[in-house]
Amino acid sequence: MIGIVIVSHSPLIAEGVKDLASEMTQGRVKIIPAGGVDDSPAIGTNAERIYQALLEASNPEGVLVLADLGSAVLSTQAAIEMLPEADQKRILLSNAPLVEGAVIAAAQASIGNDLEAVNAAAEAASTMNKLQ
Amino acid sequence: MSAATTEIEVRHAAGLHLRPAALFLQTAGAYEADIRVRNVTRDTPFKNAKSMLDVMSLAVKQGHLIELKAEGEDAAEAIEALQELINSNFGE
Repeated sequence: MIGIVIVSHSPLIAEGVKDLASEMTQGRVKIIPAGGVDDSPAIGTNAERIYQALLEASNPEGVLVLADLGSAVLSTQAAIEMLPEADQKRILLSNAPLVEGAVIAAAQASIGNDLEAVNAAAEAASTMNKLQ
Repeated sequence: MSAATTEIEVRHAAGLHLRPAALFLQTAGAYEADIRVRNVTRDTPFKNAKSMLDVMSLAVKQGHLIELKAEGEDAAEAIEALQELINSNFGE
């Protein structure tokens, strides 16, 4: 079962997306939030915090990272570079929209899809028509 | 290789979205069989029952009729389990 890390500028968004995505998994998937700069509600991202989340979510089948935008992506890339090279290969930074992508990724991960399949499903979330 | 099909009404207030959709996916995902589902009420084509995006794209609302079909060794068991999940109103 892959792990999932949620990166957001807002600690509340990261926690909230984790809570929503966890509703999909029956507790089968480890989802770690990495929002904000420090333990304050301040808005921003922190590569060290994301790095710790990557370690916490780490497992042999890999970790999918979903980020909101801008420096969340840059900080995640910096965090991935802090890992030993061998471990970097098991981390995939997704281009998926954060909320929809996390929900779909969590559901697909919960049925044992591999890292690439989960990412493909999450990225396809951007094609979803929600006004149906 | 065996095959099984059934039609069933979804009575859950949320239809086949989010939590019910995920439970549906997890039930389908527990079987080897290839499982397809379509929304009869909306007359959609069959979609992959093991894809959250596919399942949600069927836009199954309360009272809609869905059709399930499975192919594979455990097709009958898979259909039975999905039927049971839906009939139990997703355990609620």
